[in-house]
Amino acid sequence: MIIGICAKETGLNSPVADRFGRAEYYVLFDTETKESRTIENTAKNSASGAGGRAVRLLDENGVNVALAPELGPKAMDAIKAFEISAYSYGESKTVKEALENYEAGKLKEFKTNSTESHHGLRRV
Amino acid sequence: MDINEIVVISGKGGTGKTTLVASLVPFLENPVIADCDVDAPDLNILFGETIRESKDFVGLKRAVINEDLCTKCGLCHQKCKFNAISEDIKVSFSKCEGCSVCEYICPTGAIKMKDCVVGQVFDSETEYGPMVHARLIPGEETSGKLVSEVRKTAKALAEKTGRETIIIDGSPGIACNVIASITGVKKTVIVIEPTFSGLHDLEKVHRLVQNFSVDIMIVINKCDLSEDGLNAIENYCKEQDLEIALKIPFNKDIVKSVSERKIPSLENKEFFDGIGFAKFVEWIKKTD
Amino acid sequence: MKIAVLSGKGGTGKTTVATNMAFNLKGAVLVDADVEEPNSHIFIKPRVTGEKSVYKNFPLVDMDRCNLCGDCGRFCKYNAILPAKNKVLVFKEICHDCGGCEIVCKRNAISYEKREIGKIHSGKGLGDIEFIYGDLNVGEVSGVKIISELREMVSDNEVVIIDSPPGTSCASVEAVEGVDYAVVVSEPTPFGVSDMKMVVEMLENMKIPFGVVVNKAGLGNDEIYDYCSGKNIEILENIPFSEEIAKLYAVGEMMCLENSKYSHYFENIIDKISKTVK
Repeated sequence: MIIGICAKETGLNSPVADRFGRAEYYVLFDTETKESRTIENTAKNSASGAGGRAVRLLDENGVNVALAPELGPKAMDAIKAFEISAYSYGESKTVKEALENYEAGKLKEFKTNSTESHHGLRRV
Repeated sequence: MDINEIVVISGKGGTGKTTLVASLVPFLENPVIADCDVDAPDLNILFGETIRESKDFVGLKRAVINEDLCTKCGLCHQKCKFNAISEDIKVSFSKCEGCSVCEYICPTGAIKMKDCVVGQVFDSETEYGPMVHARLIPGEETSGKLVSEVRKTAKALAEKTGRETIIIDGSPGIACNVIASITGVKKTVIVIEPTFSGLHDLEKVHRLVQNFSVDIMIVINKCDLSEDGLNAIENYCKEQDLEIALKIPFNKDIVKSVSERKIPSLENKEFFDGIGFAKFVEWIKKTD
Repeated sequence: MKIAVLSGKGGTGKTTVATNMAFNLKGAVLVDADVEEPNSHIFIKPRVTGEKSVYKNFPLVDMDRCNLCGDCGRFCKYNAILPAKNKVLVFKEICHDCGGCEIVCKRNAISYEKREIGKIHSGKGLGDIEFIYGDLNVGEVSGVKIISELREMVSDNEVVIIDSPPGTSCASVEAVEGVDYAVVVSEPTPFGVSDMKMVVEMLENMKIPFGVVVNKAGLGNDEIYDYCSGKNIEILENIPFSEEIAKLYAVGEMMCLENSKYSHYFENIIDKISKTVK
């Protein structure tokens, strides 16, 4: 299984990103081989629809589970349509921490979009 | 690091947004200033600017036609939904939206989509902290994307320098540039004038902001302009459960200060004390 | 003849100048193209007799024909269409309606449906003014299409005054495209002058003749006059800063309707424009 984590920099020690669709990188961790690699997020400079495009990128790289700070409505629709599970990394500070928390079952799954359109906003 | 991001918007232009932002800056602890009014950035007028870095901003790609390969078949002119390619096969940069349909259908490969620099982002140093502002070439679209770039640069600066407040001067209107100014902020200040036009614009911008769960505060500028206008605004705020944080009477001295490139809240301190500015600053600074 | 009224900065008096010019120009049509925040109707108080929706298209995918090849998703520059595992996602609000997805689809699986992005209202208002205005729905990212349709509604034979959006965004460009003259309304303050410079640059690029109306004259400083004389820009009129005018504006009253003593400002502007354009 491949887990994709939104990251600010490269590698497992990178701090996690605070955006999903416009994260700088995704760190991909293979749970079988225990290897990881980082890919650049080519969706981040999109004029629009970065969330959906980012999901496609993850799917193209075989990601089954995504760890994210939040998911806007487009990203949520895309996550469901690509049959990827997504979890909130909550208080995790680094990619490594987020992975450990996921493996310990501490992370909450996104069942519906956690934010309204355009990042970080909850419906009042 | 939890950064306190505050945006000041107005719906209608010319209500005093920029003057208010400038007046707040000296009272904030280690702020980063983000001028997101990319069509008409003005904060640098009051803060001066020592530009440290400027970077080109690429908007949408635009169609560029290689005359040597073009056979003038006219297919691109026919298929362009934005009327951006004329009958004599010339691209209007202002109309081209970068969809690349023309590139796709051109039988000779004469059209290529090229990156266009449509503006610049500036990172400068002011007396109070770093300031990020941008200029979009007049007439260009993608101001939303440029605003996002300003926000991103400001955030990166804040994280790099350990600053915990970002104050954002937003754009007028309700379109993509305003939406991009509001996303992810903690507090939104809407500055309006006590006029019927102002009320109409407040209704629209309020509807926009309501989609975002932010704390909203209303500031009424030139509040003594019209009693009827003021009543209309106050009634609306009451109906909508909107708090009016500040009422600023018209004061020619403020205009004078700005004309002299001075920050009103420092130059006209007594006036600002008198209207309860200190309490407003406390609300802005509060993080919970 | 088409005259655009614009400003770099908001709140300088575009609507004041546009509405009062229309009031003093018999037979003129007034178009409010500031579709994000239209205000002229507050002063013109039209009896609305016509209303139409402005639409944008978005793609509909026929899943019986679609084989999820992904070509449309890879083509779309806006990420508005996204083929996934079993269905195709469409994000309507970011679709630019370019028609590309239909063209690249090899299975003929794509057609288009329309959705409303705003409305155009028309009618006659005070001073017998023919009036049309556009209103963009909240949440929509761009009003350019509405402005484009507003322009199509007026014929070349009429005298048209276009109250334009402030600034120099794509919406402003759309509003002033093809006009014969532009009135730039500014105020004599540093922000006013700074923003006006951007509009001047835009008008020069578009090769549209223009002149400046200094509104709230007496407030601020003389920077604007230095700038205009330095660039040989004609100042059409100075409208003084006046509490009376401000109060009338505040309650949605056209100043010329309230008191004909104000008419001479606008008659003068119109007069100077007709000398330049003819």
